[in-house]
This record gives sequence, structure tokens and C-alpha cells, in this order.
Amino acid sequence: MARKNEYKNRIELVQGTLDMLILQTLQWGPQHGYGIVQALHTQSGEVLKVETGSLYPALHRLERQGWVRSEWNQTESNQRARFYEITATGKKQLASDHDRWRRMVGAIAAIMQPGGKA
Amino acid sequence: MKLWRRRTDDIDEEIATHLAMAAADRQERGESLEEAQRSAKREFGNPLLVRETTRSMWGREWLDRIVQDLRFAWRQMHRSIGFSLTVIATLALGLGATAAMFTVVNRVLLQVLPYPSPQRLVLLQESGRRGDREHAPWPDIEQWQLRTRSFEDIGFYTLANGRPFLEGDTSANQINHLRVSTNLFSVLGVKPQIGRGFDDRKDQRFALAGDENTVVLSDAAWRDAFGGRKDILGKPVRISGESYTVVGVMPRGFAFPWNTGRTQVWTAVKLREPNDTRDNPTTTYSTIARLKRGVSIPAAVAEMKVVQADVAKLYTDPYSRDLVTSAAGIPYGDSLIKPEVKHALMALFGASGLLWLIACVNVTGLLLARATVRQREIAIRGALGASRGRIVRQLMIEGLLLSAGGSVLGLGLAVGLLKVFSHGLTTQLNIKGVTPDGKVISVLLALTIGSAVLSAIWPAWSSARASIEPALRQGGVPGNSREQRRLRSLLVVTQIAMSLVLLVSCGLLLRTIYTLRHVPLGFRTDHILVGSMAIPTYRFANQDLLENLYTPLLERVKAVPGVETATLMTEVPLGTNFRMIFSFGVEGNSADAVRKRDLQAQFRAVGPDAQRVFGFKMLKGRFFNEGDTPSSQGVVVVNRAFVKEYSLSNDPDKIIGQRMMSLEKGRPAIVVGVLDDTRQVSVASQSQPEIEVYLPQLTPASGFYQSTEGVAMDLVVRTERPSTSIVPELKELMRRASPDLANTNFTTMDQIVEDSYGNQQLIARLLIVFGGAALLLCLSGIYGLLSQLVSQRTREIGVRMALGAGRGQVIGMVLRQAGRMLTAGALLGFAMVYFAGSVVKGFLYGVTPYDAWTLAAVGGLLFASGLAAAYLPARQAAAIDPIEALRTE
Repeated sequence: MARKNEYKNRIELVQGTLDMLILQTLQWGPQHGYGIVQALHTQSGEVLKVETGSLYPALHRLERQGWVRSEWNQTESNQRARFYEITATGKKQLASDHDRWRRMVGAIAAIMQPGGKA
Repeated sequence: MKLWRRRTDDIDEEIATHLAMAAADRQERGESLEEAQRSAKREFGNPLLVRETTRSMWGREWLDRIVQDLRFAWRQMHRSIGFSLTVIATLALGLGATAAMFTVVNRVLLQVLPYPSPQRLVLLQESGRRGDREHAPWPDIEQWQLRTRSFEDIGFYTLANGRPFLEGDTSANQINHLRVSTNLFSVLGVKPQIGRGFDDRKDQRFALAGDENTVVLSDAAWRDAFGGRKDILGKPVRISGESYTVVGVMPRGFAFPWNTGRTQVWTAVKLREPNDTRDNPTTTYSTIARLKRGVSIPAAVAEMKVVQADVAKLYTDPYSRDLVTSAAGIPYGDSLIKPEVKHALMALFGASGLLWLIACVNVTGLLLARATVRQREIAIRGALGASRGRIVRQLMIEGLLLSAGGSVLGLGLAVGLLKVFSHGLTTQLNIKGVTPDGKVISVLLALTIGSAVLSAIWPAWSSARASIEPALRQGGVPGNSREQRRLRSLLVVTQIAMSLVLLVSCGLLLRTIYTLRHVPLGFRTDHILVGSMAIPTYRFANQDLLENLYTPLLERVKAVPGVETATLMTEVPLGTNFRMIFSFGVEGNSADAVRKRDLQAQFRAVGPDAQRVFGFKMLKGRFFNEGDTPSSQGVVVVNRAFVKEYSLSNDPDKIIGQRMMSLEKGRPAIVVGVLDDTRQVSVASQSQPEIEVYLPQLTPASGFYQSTEGVAMDLVVRTERPSTSIVPELKELMRRASPDLANTNFTTMDQIVEDSYGNQQLIARLLIVFGGAALLLCLSGIYGLLSQLVSQRTREIGVRMALGAGRGQVIGMVLRQAGRMLTAGALLGFAMVYFAGSVVKGFLYGVTPYDAWTLAAVGGLLFASGLAAAYLPARQAAAIDPIEALRTE
């Protein structure tokens, strides 16, 4: 029960959006797993905290799909880490995901703000 | 697998990096090292779970799980080693028998002929009043070549006369020498690996002038006799003293005719008598043709029949014409396998398959029993979240592992079985040194999977389907469902039925062998040694072999201590090396002449004392004696069957003193004696007409000399000494007489008789093995089921005993159950025997497939041994202490 309290401040990620968020983050350059968690955390105004149990499976899934590629490299602090980099097909995927997401948000917003239509 | 491991390590390292970076960040923010590491870990969650789910993204988790299942199955096997070994041994029996039989079937029936498109090769034969004739005269073959349209080409060949030897660089070796038409290799579609082969012209199928003495060597002849010399082309080689020029060497693996054991050479056929008539040809040939693409065999045969009808009209002699009125064509591949051999092999393969089924059914029973014991374990796995599919897969993998163990052991059994039966396989099927090859292994692999599926799927499915809750409940009696018990009884009944079929077949064959053994042969077989003398007779071309070699040798053999008497004979009765048929060249076409021309007699040339050695009985007249010399009156001896066919009466007096044939030109021979009938061709067939001549009366000038003495001779020795001690002495004598006789092969007359039982002996022995194994499995099935039932019913039996049931009643109760299964099994089995009867019928001699005695004996054996197997659990049940039984649980 103690564990539940720990997570109460976070918003559950909407199903299927994690891949898009990861790809979006990787647009600014190659990044390792920990870096992606940190980046999403900061950029979401410290709201989103991606769980490693979702992140790593997602990264490997993306790699298998050919949307990202990975390489072991040195970090600034001379730590060996696996860096993920978005591929050309990954970018295309991101564009289409983004598009779909925008439509989805629009649709949800239309439902959630009744009267706007009238 | 390696790649997979690397990926796992990779993910582990990635997770470690993540943790290290998180800890480092926290440390920077002022946390202590220890605290930072701890909270980083807490924040990360379960690294193992992360690793597993991440790895599963690569879609290889099924492999991983199978490895896991395999490991678990391996542990299970170890934990109950006794059970595992029982299952493995059971499956090994079935798989071993099937693998061994398939090895033989593969070798004999599924052989691939070394010619392109072998299905287009057809043997052509003439047929008529007396069935198919293997050989045709050249004028007829010429007509076929000219008139038929179905064939690309027609070739022909004949075996060279005598016993040919090829003189190599170091020694002379007996070979298979064929005289072939010059187009034969092109009909077969195979070109020599060296040289061009024979010169072939469309209008000339015989050797061209000047090419008569050309030879094509087989690869084996080239390597063995000439060490594979590259410069062999154009060199002269000697075959039986005659010189030939090498014009080609065939590729390795090529043989024609297929399936002759010896090294082969081919020379071009010479057209010996240009005026050869079709009515009375000096040489006749086997004919092989290659069908044109797209022409079917029936269509080709139909065309042949039309052409042959015209060809038959060209015969002037009505008797000869009657024998060739039609034609037949057999696919060459089929002609190589005798139908009875094919039949026997398929029947035995079926028997081994039945044994395999019995083994699988037996294992199903064992696994079902095992599943009841493991019901709680499986229920726990189910309760912990294993899906049905996962449980089924787990159990199937266990089945597969056991089955794999069984097939490894079975392969060993198969090799052993083939070794034990190698003599029978060599004499009956003419195959040497059979061992399982790649094809057999792949079939075995399929069978392994088959056995696993067949035996494990049912138990696995029923375990997975069983509801979890009752199995977990304390005190629940595991697996006592009525349905499952009935199922297992049904399995045992099936086993009993199938075993009965095998046992009945085995019993019938044993009766056959027994009957064959008691057939009066008409001669003695005990204490007789037979040496088949393979001598390069061409070296003795201008000498009388009998005078110069055989007689002195015989005298020396007779002088060996322990030798009672000895004789010479072209071929001993029941021998298979040399067979000569005599037929009359009667003039005229009266009914009597036709009958006499139809008469085909076994022809044998025998030496002095032949009657003493074999104890042949004289019916009338006398056997040959010292008074019969090259200069005295020519004499022959015939047998009772001959009298019957020749004079259509049973009265031997009618034939004594009659002139029968001429030993040589102007030297008629009269019948001086009639022998009683003997089984001289095979034990199972009635006596054939036979005519015998006396070796000392044959001079090299006689045509009979050239086709008997000059070719084959058996030395027959009657001795009281064991063959192991006397054979080396005899061999030494032979070696001193002529170095060519050093490798004379000796065997006992008893062995020759044994070998002549034919397929029956081999079938009977294999069926003893299969039937015995089936019975054993069947008994273990009965025992296994009953002892499990007894242990499950301990409490019930305890209650019965507490209520006053006596030991006898308890024993009776268990035995009755066994009796019910045996009865049901036997009834089902006898029904199956009814259908199996038609399969075994062809192999039986002196017994019908539904022989009451055999059926009763086998049924009795099954019941007696079945009840004996049931008696152990019955006693165990009777020994239950009611108080103990009621206290447990």
C-alpha cells in the first residue's frame, strides 16, 4: 500500500503515447535511457515520470521496428551507456503519430467542452 | 543461442548504467552514496522484470521458455529415474524395431537406381502359352526396334557364359561379365567417366567389325584390378584368357544389371551366327528400352502386343510360335524386387509399426498414471498462473524428451537387430552390411515426434483440463476419476488386441517353420560339408578338369582322417549357386511331342558316391557305379517326378532302358535307374523332374562338360568331425591342389537347408522378436494399471476386508478385472486377426491363417501370462491390512 502513495502525484500515460514521446525526445539528438526519463520529467513540468518497466521494453520495441538505432558510447561523465538515435523511418513515424495524436486531442476536447459547438 | 545470451547481457548492462547514472545524480544533489544507490534502485523498480519484458520485445521468449521447459523436464526425468527409464525402454522397443525395418525397406524397396529418369526404363519380354520369357532372340528384338514408336531406343544384353575372371595387375578375380548391345549405355542414359564407350550406329547394334573385343570397365573393376590407372584407355586387358581393349570406364556407383554383388565389365555383343533363326537361336537376350517422354507403360505395352502378334507369325515352328504370341513390359525398377520379397517386407514393416503403436499406447498409459501422481503439482502450477497451453506444452516437452531418449536407445537397438539378422538379410534379400543412414535418421526423428504426440497429448490435455480446486483440497484422492480408469483399461485392451495379432502371426510362422522342418527331404543333411569351388576354369581350357584336378583332390579329401566319404556334384540339392534346366529337343508337333518339349528337368552332373553321401533312395534300377566309364554305354538316372511327367505313369519300369538323350554326338544314354523324389529346389515345393548324368562319363568334347564341369562344382564331404576342426584341413588341401581353390567357401548342408526355408525363416525370427516385445509391453501394461488401481483403492479394499471379504475374494476381484480386459482384448484381437490373415497367408506352409490350434495356443499364452502379471497386484491387494488402510488419510 505504501507504494501506491509514491505514485499518486503522477498522471498515467495515455496508452500508445509513450512511443511518440520517446521519438519526440530523440529528435534533439541521441540519448540514453536515463536521459530520456530525465528529459520527459523536466519537459513535462515534472509531471511525467516514465517507468523503466515501460521505457526499456518500448526502446527495444522501437529498435526492432527500425525507428531508432542504438550504440554504446561514452557520456560526458565518461560513463559507458547505450545511446538511442532516431532513424529516418522513425521520424516519419513520429510525424504520423503526432498527427494522429493532435486529431485525438481535438476530438477529446470537443467532447469535454460541450457548448463550444452549439 | 549465443546471440540471445549477448542480448540479455546487454540489457543487464543498460540497466546497471541507468542505476549508476541515477545514483550519481542523487549524489550530486547531496545524498550519501549508500542512500543514493538505495533510492535509485527503489525508483527503478524490479530490474529482473524490466529485463524480462525488455527481452520479450525481441520476440524470442518462446525459445527461452522452451529452454526453461526443457530444463524443467530434464529435472523431472532425473527425479523419477525409474519411471523415465521404463518409458524410454518401452519407446525404444517400438522405435528400434521400426527403424530397423525401415532401414531394410529403404535399402530394398526405396533404392534409387543410378540412371536418369529410371521410371522410363522398361524390360520387354515375349509371352505366350507358358508365361513370360525372360530372353528373346535377336531377330525379334530387331523387329521391335524397327516397328515400335513408343521407345527412344531399345538395348539388349546377355550374361557371358561360364565363370568369367578378369586378370588384373596382380591377381585374377571372378567378375560379372555382360555382353551388351552397343547402344545399351545410351538407353540407360549414362556416359562413361573415361573414354567414349562402344561405337554405336543406328543400323548396327552389335559390335562393329574390328570392335568385337572392346570392353567397358566398371569403376570398381578399374580401381580394384588396375589401381585406377589413368592411362587405361586403349590398353589390352584379359577376361578369362581372352584379350579386350578398354574403351571406357563407367562412373562410380553405376551398375547394370542393378543389384548383382560382383564387379562388372561389359563387352559389345558379337553377332555370332548371322543366320541365327528365331525358332532355334543360339543366344537370346534380355531387352531393356527407354520410353519416349510422355508415353505411358500401358500404351507402350499395347503397341508391343500389336507388333509382337506380327512377329509371332514369322515363326515357322508352331510350338515355338505358341510361346511368343504376346508381349509384356515391366518397369525396370519393379523387375528388381521379387513380389514375395516386397510383400514380406511390407508385412514386417507393418508388424514393426504395430509394435511401435503398442509401445506408444503403453507409454500413454504410463503417462496417465504419472499425471495422477503429479496432479497436485500441476494444480499448483495452474494456481500460480500457468495457462493451460503452458501446462500442455510443458508436458508435451517432457514427452518429447522421453521420446528422444527412446529413439537414441532405439537406434542402438536397430543397429543391434540388423547385426543379429545380417545372415538372414544377406541370404534372403541379398543386402550386405545395412546400417541406418540419413534417411532412416530423419524418419526416426519424425517417429520420435510422432510418438511424443501420440503418447503424451492425451495425458497432457487431460491434466491441463482438470480443475485445480479439488486437486488442491486436502485429502482429496488424486486422479480417481472413473473416466480416466476406463480410459486406461481401454488402452490396455487395445494393447492386448494388437499384441494378439503379432503373436498369432508369429505362431503361424513358427508352425510353418516347424512343418517345413519336418518335410521329408528325401536325403540326409546331417554331417555334410559343402565346398563351392570357384575356379578360373579358362586356365584348364584344354584339359579334363575331372581327371587332372577334381579326382586327385577327391582322393586326398577321402584320405583325411574322419572323412567317411566324399563326392562331387555340380550343385547340391537346395543349393542356389548354379542351376541348370534340361529340356528336350523333340521334333514334331504332336500332342506327345509338345508335352515332352514342355518338360523341364533339373539337370545335375554327379560324381561317384553321391548316393552314399546323401543317402538318396533308389526306386528302381541302379545308381551310377565304377562300371560307367567314358567308353562304356552312356547312362542317366532320373527321379520319380520325371517318370511321371515323361511317361504319364507312376511305373518306373516304363522308363528303364529307354534312350533319353545324347551325352555327346553319337553317344546315346539310357535310363538305368529311378531315384525317389527329393525336395531339390526348395523345401516348400514338391519334387521337380530331375535328370542326372555321371561326371566320369563326360569328356571335354561333350556339350554337357562345357556347361557343367567347366563352370561349377561342389565338393561334398560326409564327416563325423565338427566343421571347425576339419574345414581348415580341407582348405589347406584345396590350396595345395590349386592356389585358385584357396578361398573355397565351406558351409554345412544343414545351413543350406536352413537358408532354403526362404523368407519364412527371417519373418518368423523377426516376428518372434516383435511378438515377444509386444507381449512384454502388454503384460507391463496390465501390471501397471492393476497395481495403480490397487494402490488407489487401498481404502476401499480395506473396507471390504473389514466387512468380511477374504483374501481369496480380494485376489479374485483383481484377477476378474484382468480377465475382463484380457477377454475384451482377445475378442478385439481375434477380429483383427481375421483381417491380418490375408496378409500372412502367402508366407504359410501346411497351416491356414485361421489355424485353430495356433489361435488357441496364443490365446492361452496371453491369458496365462496376463493373469500371472495380474497376480502380483492381486497379492498386494490381499496383503492390505484393513486397520492400516482405514487409518491412512
